Amino acid sequence: MRWLRDRKHMLPRICIISSGKEKNNEGVHLTALVESIPENVHCMLQIREKHLDGLTLYNLACLARRKRGTRKVLLFLNERADIALVSGLEGVHLPDKACSPSALKKGGLEMLFGCSVHSPQSAIEAERNGADYLLFGPVFDTPSKRMYGPPQGLEKLKEVCRLTQLPVYALGGISMETAPLCRDMGAYGCAALSLFLDTAALAGTLEQLNLLWQK
Amino acid sequence: MAKVIPSYPFLCVITDEETSPVSLAEEALRGGAPMIQLRHKSADGRVLFDWAMEIRKRCTEHGALFIVNDRLDIAMASGADGVHLGQEDIPLRAAREAVGNTMLIGISATSLNEAMKAQDEGADYIGLGHIFPTISKEKHHPPLGLEALEKAASLLSVPVVAIGGITIENAPALISAGAAGIAVISAVSRAPSPLQAAKELSRVINLNR
Repeated sequence: MRWLRDRKHMLPRICIISSGKEKNNEGVHLTALVESIPENVHCMLQIREKHLDGLTLYNLACLARRKRGTRKVLLFLNERADIALVSGLEGVHLPDKACSPSALKKGGLEMLFGCSVHSPQSAIEAERNGADYLLFGPVFDTPSKRMYGPPQGLEKLKEVCRLTQLPVYALGGISMETAPLCRDMGAYGCAALSLFLDTAALAGTLEQLNLLWQK
Repeated sequence: MAKVIPSYPFLCVITDEETSPVSLAEEALRGGAPMIQLRHKSADGRVLFDWAMEIRKRCTEHGALFIVNDRLDIAMASGADGVHLGQEDIPLRAAREAVGNTMLIGISATSLNEAMKAQDEGADYIGLGHIFPTISKEKHHPPLGLEALEKAASLLSVPVVAIGGITIENAPALISAGAAGIAVISAVSRAPSPLQAAKELSRVINLNR
C-alpha cells in the first residue's frame, strides 16, 4: 500500500466514527460500514466501541483491517493505542482524558495520534503533546454529544483552527448543510457518526464531502 | 531484556478500585512486596498513566517489579516491567509480538488448560485462580482449590502465582502446594494496615520456603 507511506502528509478530509453498537467479534455494523466505502474514497475510520473488552476490540480491529482490503481507509481505534499497535492499525484517537501522545510515543507506541479537544486551550496543549490531528466539537447541537456540554459554535471552531497548525476536524451536528460552514471557518475536515449511519447512502455522502473540500 | 520473577516465594500486591493505588503500592513496598500490579478498571487513561509513573518510581527505589493490568499502552508508556493480561484482554501472541522479550507478560488462567496454553504461547508467569472463594471479583466458576494448584504447579515449568481468597492463614499452604508466589487484592488493600498485612504475608510465605 504505497499511499499509506505518505499518510502523515495526506490525512483525509473525512473521519467516520463507528456506530458504537457492536455486540461481539462479528462486527456486523463495522463490516457493513467498511464494505460500503468505495475503493477510491480517501477517509479515516475511527473504531469507537468503548463498551467492549480488549480481546473483542482486538478482533474487531483485525476484522476492519481485513475488510478494508485495498480501500484508502486509515483505521484508528478509540483510546487503546496498545490494541491499535498489536492489530496493525494506522493510529489511535485519544479522548479528552487519555494518556498523552508524547507519553505513548516515548513508550514505543509509534502511530498516528488524534486528540479530541473541547477548547482552544486544550487544542494548544494537544499540539504541544504530539497530536497529529484534532477533533473539535461539538460544533453544532447533536443528541449524541450533549453529554459533552453545549455546542461550541462556528466562532470557536475558527479560533481553534487559527491557533493550531494541525488539521482540525469539526465534530458534532455535521450534515451536508453544516459541513461547508465548517470548511469556511478553516476546518481541515469533518468527523461524524450519524451522518454515515445510512450505509446505502454512504458512497454518495463521502464523495460529496470530498468534493466540498476540493472546492 | 525483561527483568526476572523472584526465585523465592513472593508476594504480589494488586491495587483495587477503592484505595489510592499510589499509597497502597507505597505501603505494600514498605511491607516487602517485590511485585506490584496496578489494576484499575474505571480510571481514565491519563490518571492511570500518572499513577503508573508514580508507582514505577517507587518500585524502582525498592527494587520491586511493576506490572500493569490489561493496559499494555500504559505499561509501555510508564516503562513498567510487565503487563498482566486476562483471557478477555489482548491475546498473548499479539502482545508478545509487539514487545518481544523486553517486557514480562503474565496471564490469568482459571483452569489447567488455559494455563498450559499460556505457557505454550510464551507467558512469563501464570496467575492461577481463584484458588479460594473470593469477594474481590465477580466469579463465574467455583474455586479451583489447592489440588488444582498443586497439579498446575507440578505440570508447568513457568512460575504459577496463586490468586483468589488468600489470607495470612491459608497463604503458607499455597506455597507448600507449589505456588511460586501469591497475589492478593483485599488481603492487603482492605486490611486495617496494608503495610502490616504485606509484612505478615511476606513473612508467612517466606517461613514456608
